[in-house]
Amino acid sequence: MRSLDHLFEHSSRSLARRTSRRSLLASLGQLLTGAALLPLLPVDRGGRAWGSEAKPDSPESCEYWKYCAIDGFLCSCCGGTSSSCPPGTATSPITWIGTCHNPGDGRDYIVSYNDCCGKTSCGNCECNRNEREKPMYRPSRNNDLNWCMANADSNYHCSVSVILGVAEK
Amino acid sequence: MLSVLVHAAPPPLPAEHLSVQQLPPKSPHWVYVYDEAFDNEIDARVHLFDGDSYRRLGQIDAGFLPSVSLSPDGTTTAVATTYFARGSRGARTDVVEFTDNATLATTGEIVLPSKRAQTSPTIFNMGYSTDGHFLYAAYLTPAASFGVLDPARRAVLGEIDTAGCVLVIPWGANRVSSLCESGRLLTVTLDAQGHETARALSEPFFDPDRDPVFVQGVPTARGYAFLSFLGEVHELDLSGGQPAFAQPWSLVSAAEQGRWRPGAAQVGAVHRGLGRLYVPMHQGGEGTHKDGGTEIWVFDMAAHRRLARWPMQPAGLSRVLAVQASQDSAPILFAATDAADVAVFDALTGKLRHVERHLGQTPWMMLNP
Repeated sequence: MRSLDHLFEHSSRSLARRTSRRSLLASLGQLLTGAALLPLLPVDRGGRAWGSEAKPDSPESCEYWKYCAIDGFLCSCCGGTSSSCPPGTATSPITWIGTCHNPGDGRDYIVSYNDCCGKTSCGNCECNRNEREKPMYRPSRNNDLNWCMANADSNYHCSVSVILGVAEK
Repeated sequence: MLSVLVHAAPPPLPAEHLSVQQLPPKSPHWVYVYDEAFDNEIDARVHLFDGDSYRRLGQIDAGFLPSVSLSPDGTTTAVATTYFARGSRGARTDVVEFTDNATLATTGEIVLPSKRAQTSPTIFNMGYSTDGHFLYAAYLTPAASFGVLDPARRAVLGEIDTAGCVLVIPWGANRVSSLCESGRLLTVTLDAQGHETARALSEPFFDPDRDPVFVQGVPTARGYAFLSFLGEVHELDLSGGQPAFAQPWSLVSAAEQGRWRPGAAQVGAVHRGLGRLYVPMHQGGEGTHKDGGTEIWVFDMAAHRRLARWPMQPAGLSRVLAVQASQDSAPILFAATDAADVAVFDALTGKLRHVERHLGQTPWMMLNP
């Protein structure tokens, strides 16, 4: 699991240190092009991991394997899917990346946790899981931030988890 | 017979005069409850709640993902928030709004650049200098910096780049520290106009890979305590000219480590006079640091000794996500749960005095002067 996980962490760290604010977004955009020009991150949340009553293998369940560090409302319950934003919302050009284990095939997958933006919070299927999640001083691993922050409309609506590939062992 | 009945009827109620209620004199048992209103996040609020009468005394509106601070003298609540021109959409305006805590009326504002850190509530998202002369607001775009504000003149004085370090930990009249990914503390010193005159980076005081600290620091008599995911207490002394770090101590025994751990949104409270620390604790492994406490553990900070364990379930309470202690000699411990209940405990004995059901929607932080 070296990989994108490590790469992104390293890259975003150095970017934050070396890059001017003006060029940071452009650089992040370049970094993610080809991976996922997608939304963002999960905004925080206390501990109300309710999700729906869907079974754990359902994308409408907080227990679904791809959601191992998601923190927000599941877009699957808001008109989208686990990898698509609901109609009328906007994806965001920055994201953070983690690794989740799929018990279905025994593989670890690199996923990007993205937020969907431009409408107020969905309010359905709140989910707060935090495997390997780190505090805000490590932003590339933090799910408390509103990753719609850089959108023209930074309102947070819901969160998705998008498979980027299999993690290297 | 009819006349008897008429005479027995009570007199009619007098006519009423519509008015606006005035707040009673402030009390050390008041608490300002941050409600993110997560299900409809553009409508956050701060509820003012009285821990003696168990009444809501009023509300301060707080917009979208706000940062909230009380002035050092307790007279003002500052709310940094974001508004969209069309309610939930449209042009973004970031602003700090000031509320007079004696009337709960809004008294002024400072419009910010659209850089405000939009994140979970902590006491370090925004903060006043000790003398109240400066107000600092954390920015994240996601590049990290902070704004230096003049709350008296309602003006933005400038912006300080923090080189990737985040949040604002104010101390003294003119110093601001930020938490860095390396486990170090960056400290910036300002002149009287709010311009940077010096900066210094500390040695690492925690290991962000092995055992990260929560960013929600707890005010102590001489600075702040930062709790780690595994239950280490890192005390930061800001009473001198330089930040000083005490030898860490542990909330858990060797047998408890890795099984019992702190977890919450606001993960500790200290009664500074008594030197008592209150921490929501739960049983769980890696990734449970936001799960909330099934018990509140009470510690003597000087002796590094646990004094009590207060289980929440027998009190009919779900997991505790935030705690706050009043600072008077008959102290109250407030505990907010993931069911949005706020419990009022005697902070000396642990006796449950009251549970206020559904105090808002998502009460994730509580403040008092």
